[in-house]
Amino acid sequence: MSQATQGRLVLLGINHNTAPIEVRERLAIPSTRLADATRSLLHQPGIREGLILSTCNRVELLTLQDDTGEAANTQPQTKADLLRFLHEYFSVPPNDIQPHLYEFREREAVRHLFRVASSLDSMVVGEPQILGQVKESYTIAREVGAVSTHLESLLQRTFTVAKKIRSETQIGSSSVSIASVAVDLARKIFGSLQGKTVLLVGAGKMSELAARHLIHQGAASILVTNRTHSRAEKIAADFASSAVHTEAILFDDLYAQAPRADIVISSTGAPQKIFSPSHGQHFLHARRNRPMFFIDIAVPRDVDPRMNEVEGCFVYDIDDLQQVAAANLADRSREAAAAETIVSREVEKYHERLQSRDAVPAIKALQQQAEELRQAELARSQSKLASLTPEQQAAVDALTRSLTAKLIHPQLVALRRRVEDNTDPQK
Amino acid sequence: MSLLWLRVAVLLYGIAALAVLPAALYDRPRWRHIAIPATIAAVLFHFVSLAEMLSAAHHRLPVDTHETQTLLGLLLALAFLVVYWRYKTVSLGIFILPICFLLGLLPAFHPGQESTTFPILHTGWIFLHVALLLAAYAALLLSLLASLLYLVQERRLKQKSPTLPSLPPLETADQIALKALLFGLPCMTAGLLIGSLIAQATVGISYFRDPKILLAFAMWLVYIAMIYIRRHAGLRGRRAVYLSSFVFFVVLAVWAANQFSDVHRFNAP
Repeated sequence: MSQATQGRLVLLGINHNTAPIEVRERLAIPSTRLADATRSLLHQPGIREGLILSTCNRVELLTLQDDTGEAANTQPQTKADLLRFLHEYFSVPPNDIQPHLYEFREREAVRHLFRVASSLDSMVVGEPQILGQVKESYTIAREVGAVSTHLESLLQRTFTVAKKIRSETQIGSSSVSIASVAVDLARKIFGSLQGKTVLLVGAGKMSELAARHLIHQGAASILVTNRTHSRAEKIAADFASSAVHTEAILFDDLYAQAPRADIVISSTGAPQKIFSPSHGQHFLHARRNRPMFFIDIAVPRDVDPRMNEVEGCFVYDIDDLQQVAAANLADRSREAAAAETIVSREVEKYHERLQSRDAVPAIKALQQQAEELRQAELARSQSKLASLTPEQQAAVDALTRSLTAKLIHPQLVALRRRVEDNTDPQK
Repeated sequence: MSLLWLRVAVLLYGIAALAVLPAALYDRPRWRHIAIPATIAAVLFHFVSLAEMLSAAHHRLPVDTHETQTLLGLLLALAFLVVYWRYKTVSLGIFILPICFLLGLLPAFHPGQESTTFPILHTGWIFLHVALLLAAYAALLLSLLASLLYLVQERRLKQKSPTLPSLPPLETADQIALKALLFGLPCMTAGLLIGSLIAQATVGISYFRDPKILLAFAMWLVYIAMIYIRRHAGLRGRRAVYLSSFVFFVVLAVWAANQFSDVHRFNAP
């Protein structure tokens, strides 16, 4: 019964685990074309509702399809049918896609969707972007009318599950990129980074990325120094904005200016160390012992590791940052196990809700039929009951109501059980 | 009845002390949602219990060791809640909540029998004297604990420990430590001043020759010196902990001297 009334849920897709980038990029749909693609999917015969999720790591079609016996022969209820849609829409030969495709139905489709939105199926487990991408796909699908009752409730549940996993596990709490690890460490030292000063020594993409992360977290001042002063001026100009004070300082003034900085990001190509422990002591003295954080991204290193022994100086080189990132990644894997348990529980809950919802129309019909019979019998006996007092008539009414309820109770129980059996793939 | 409330409060402190461990060490929000409400409830029950206890004994201030202990526990729990409200960190609860539990445990199950008829104990000034000094002690303990957390966090950062527990950032721990001291200074100054004025009026100059009283003034000087050094030398980390510990032991000595003093003890003016 559930299949006929609710339709069949089918999820088809490719992701970073099943397809190389060469295949994924051919199927990727830019956000500007997502509405059009969703509309096209919805126009396929037999598709009642649909949603397309397209990110750099996956393309997935979530569909609710008609499930009547007649339609089964003519409508795209199978992998091959949706494959044909992909082929027609993207002009990619089916043979190029087929080996990489995966397909999930019903309960497994729900599970997969929960896992994707909760970032358990992501390349970097726990990354937060995927939930936003699923929400964006949902918004677009809703705008074009591709999501209504069934997928609406499924997707709302999906967002709730994803949020629950974020709040009940630590899956997304630790940073796994070098730049974000550096920011996390800075926050462990300084708390808020509001108003903090960052000194960039040398130039490099990673150091600039780390600096941008720090600005994003509230760092208010960026000092830049380079052996080539014009290069320092250019980098400083790149960072300049109304919220950030930037300043290019002469490399010769480095040691005099460094105490101004709370965070020093060093990435020069110098063959020998630029900062020694004695520099650290001098800086700390000038700062009245306020801590300093040195992020040394240079290879060979710019900061003497012994500077870490100076009280108030914290030195992290590229290996240290990578080690923290790797440990955080391992933490995420551990948290993922807890998240999988939540997903399994939520899939079961979702199906229980669906089952009870499936049984509702039949239960209502049975109750209505019984009530009609009761009313008909009462009407037939109306002349014989007319002599009764209103209290006696009310008692008869209550008696027949109670009898009817008791008579149909076994049928109601059987009906619920049958719905459960029909939707349980194990039976 | 007051004992019942105190026992409930102690039980809640115990629950909060256990819940704060996963909340602080593993950043588990669920446990934080147990620890904080449990502490708030414990503070309320504790306050009711204290008020009833003092009212039943017909005096307005703690006069025996147990009552003083329980007031100190209440002040520490309040300090923990204030720190949580201001800095959103529960780490201090790892130390403070068990202390609150222990400070309440003995009075809850073995209440003191001391009583006093000394009339001055019924005045508001002496209550202020006791409450202000206890607030200063609580502030000092808070400062010491924050300095210890600073030390632990600093060590972990230095060791590049990959899995850093959820301790407050160094600057936050430093701010808590310093602000607690700055809060404690006026409390201690006013507490001692009020005590001195009362002593001058009731006992006379001989009161100030008692070693316990001299020790209390020495404590005040040491306290001021500590704040001066911390603020002007930017003392942090290990040396700050050493200094705070030293002052804390001076305070403990002053507290312990209450038991031996001729003129200043729990049952005497």
